[in-house]
Amino acid sequence: MILWAMPDSGARTMEDYATLVALFKKENPSVEISVRVFTRNVLWRRIFTLKDPAHEETPDLIQIPHYWTALLVKAGVAENLSQLDPGMSLTNCLLPLKENCYQPGTKDLYSYPWWFDLSALHYRADHLRLVSSHPEEDLKTWPGLLSICEALREKFNDVNGYYPMQNSDWRGSLSMRSALPCMWSRGLNFFTEDRAATLVGSKEFKEALHDYITLALKEYMPILRERGSLGTIVSGKASMVISRKQGISTFTTRRGVRVCTLPVPATGEKSAAYLSGMNLFINTFSQHKKDALKFIKFCARPDIQLRYARMIEVFPAFEDAFEKFISSSSRLQIYKEILPSANVLPNIVIMGTVMEILKRVLAVCATQIVEHRFTQASLDRELDLTAKEIEFLLSIYKG
Amino acid sequence: MFDKKSYTLYKFHKQLNQSFQDKRELLECALPALRNLFKLDRVYFFNWQQERAILSLKMMCKKEYCMDMQEDISVANEPAFLRQLLQQGVAETTDLSYPALYVLIRWMRPTVELKAGEVRSIMREKVGVLRLERFRKNRVFTNAEIDLIKALGEEISHNLHNTEIDQTKNQRLNISTALNDLSTIFASSLRLNDGLELILKGVQRYFHFDRVHLYLTNSEGTRIKSVLGVDISGTVTQESGDSLREEEKQILKEVFDSSATYRAIRSVIYVPLKVQRTKVGFLTFDNILSRRKIGYLDFISLQQFASQMALSIDNARLFERVQELSNYDELTKLPVRRYFNEKFAEEIYRSKRFGLSLSLIIMDIDWFKQINDKYGHQVGDWALKAVSKVIRSSLRQTDVPCRFGGDEMMIMLPRTNAEEAKVIARRLKEKISDITLPDRTSLEPEHLSISQGISSFPADASTANELLEKADQALYVVKQHGRGDFAVYREVVDQVQQVTPEEKKEENK
Repeated sequence: MILWAMPDSGARTMEDYATLVALFKKENPSVEISVRVFTRNVLWRRIFTLKDPAHEETPDLIQIPHYWTALLVKAGVAENLSQLDPGMSLTNCLLPLKENCYQPGTKDLYSYPWWFDLSALHYRADHLRLVSSHPEEDLKTWPGLLSICEALREKFNDVNGYYPMQNSDWRGSLSMRSALPCMWSRGLNFFTEDRAATLVGSKEFKEALHDYITLALKEYMPILRERGSLGTIVSGKASMVISRKQGISTFTTRRGVRVCTLPVPATGEKSAAYLSGMNLFINTFSQHKKDALKFIKFCARPDIQLRYARMIEVFPAFEDAFEKFISSSSRLQIYKEILPSANVLPNIVIMGTVMEILKRVLAVCATQIVEHRFTQASLDRELDLTAKEIEFLLSIYKG
Repeated sequence: MFDKKSYTLYKFHKQLNQSFQDKRELLECALPALRNLFKLDRVYFFNWQQERAILSLKMMCKKEYCMDMQEDISVANEPAFLRQLLQQGVAETTDLSYPALYVLIRWMRPTVELKAGEVRSIMREKVGVLRLERFRKNRVFTNAEIDLIKALGEEISHNLHNTEIDQTKNQRLNISTALNDLSTIFASSLRLNDGLELILKGVQRYFHFDRVHLYLTNSEGTRIKSVLGVDISGTVTQESGDSLREEEKQILKEVFDSSATYRAIRSVIYVPLKVQRTKVGFLTFDNILSRRKIGYLDFISLQQFASQMALSIDNARLFERVQELSNYDELTKLPVRRYFNEKFAEEIYRSKRFGLSLSLIIMDIDWFKQINDKYGHQVGDWALKAVSKVIRSSLRQTDVPCRFGGDEMMIMLPRTNAEEAKVIARRLKEKISDITLPDRTSLEPEHLSISQGISSFPADASTANELLEKADQALYVVKQHGRGDFAVYREVVDQVQQVTPEEKKEENK
């Protein structure tokens, strides 16, 4: 059986998958599993060629971001799990993750939750103490965050390569996923309620994106730099990071660095977090559907959920395991507060494409910032064009 | 014999001296080899996006495995670093706290371009960069090591060049095989629509398009007549040109007016279908959902295929026209007897299988021989045309009329019982009685009339021949009772006599 997965734990990814596979093999010695790791970009391209009979290899199981499910159903490459095993259900699954597993408008399961992550603000307590007596209060709002950034920069002016914020994006660029809380915090969404139009071209959306970009524009956060030289909290070259829990695993390895976690500062009325779920789906063209199903069920088991979540520093997708996970550490209690404010991207056919388009917009934006030729007008124009593109997509694929 | 450098180079060369499917496969072999040779902690491969001055990370090698990774590094503000890398082929990073070396990799990649209407194969330079890291023991790279790394970088460049050439050759071979397969499928399809469906599905699958649409024009090439499409799920859709949105209708003009039909960034291409100067239609291929760029080679191949396809569509249309002519009577525009018999047999089979009713009307024009004798054959032909026009306009789409011979016509009415057939017969009788013969000498207008016999399946008969016979007998009864009317076999069965062919011939006069 072949599993296509993503580099969830960075450079440690292959070792982590090897551990998981070994656990599975202990119980299922007859099932062979090879894991192929692709970036989200490559995976996105590859899922569109699954139907090609001349494809070099046929994966049986594929890891996807939660909001790709509808697309895969539309493309006819995801196996109907409800048909494959009528006993499969999402009874114990955390509520925000459920909707992302079905074919929209039906009760047919096409992907199964594996794990999820939540964005939050993490900061070095020792650094923040130097500029704020009440970081919890000062970091409640976006203007508060920017003021703290300014104060930190002045404080660490003599540290070579220091940035107040660490860049949590894997590519070291601007990332739409990091910008999402700014959008939701303003009460905005990608689409109108009836999903007939997009709000990407709206003034509010542009302002929300600008909030996030300000971090790079004011050079509070490094972009397009070698990852090794980026300001990191651990090295002391950064003091804060807005990241999913996954990105902060290294904090625990450095003794004496106390890292605190808070909800993402609010750009609007209330704080919002991005809940990013990872699901598994079985390829329609798989020759090993039963084995793939075994692996899905194995991953959904509470003990494995807990173990894997600890291994790659994410959250279990099912209630029992999640409760146990959260109660295992006082540092995680804050996530009980963050979870209710979490938003997910809608599981609609065009969502993956919309994120790809916006990624391209932000990539251009990042280059312009680095080359000092960024203007808000050019970004606004890009977003207006993007809105038209999204509306064209909506007209074709009806969401 | 060999010094250490030459021996290492030779060993590395041997390791890479194999046929790789693509760049990824080559790098999966080269990066671990480099890692082992120089005891590196990690090796990275970047693509150099020259226009954006960005190094874009593609692959990382750690321990014995390679993995896809992503990272963008801007080198726009690093002129010294860039200069060193470009001039010397290697540069050490100043940013990192451990030794890391960048090695430039350049190779030529075959590609195609369209210049002055001609497709030309050209070689374009591609640039990549290797990053070699030693962070565990902070061991710096010695000059001898840097020399050797540069030489191995050149070996990788050389192999990348060969791999890209092989890959392009394979790609071209695959495209030509795919197009050849598609042409064979198309040529072996009996019906135009079936063939087109197969082609569109095939093109979508081979070239990985999200959607493929074929817009066919009317015979004058002035407007879109129909659209056949295959969506991302492989579902075939068909639409009439009339139901298209205004902006979609405008595309026809744009496609033929504009020579620039390749829009790589938009992931959409339009390919016009022309035979000499006649517009047959156009094809659209899009990757709007997947956002994948459509390769220029694909575009050019599809353009060449399109001219072949246009010719095939034009031929198929011609064939359909010929077939139409052979199936239809030229004078009355009604199907001929052979065509009717085929449809009749199919419909009887379907009615039997699904327990459906079916009726048959046989009719002829009253006193047709006398009309011919009195006014000439031209008026007789006119009468036939006028009657058949009424028949064609009075029937449902599922009904099949035919000119059986002379002035005798038949109508097959699927899913129709005798009572429903009577409604149709009455309608025909009334409409045809309104027709007057074009005779200028007569004072009184002379009206046409028809006699009709009706039989129904399964009430009157269970085979095609029996149904014909029963309808004919009912028609004979009508004629015996003065013509101009209709009768259902079942209702006049007691009046039906066994008539000899001679008597029937006499009556038909």
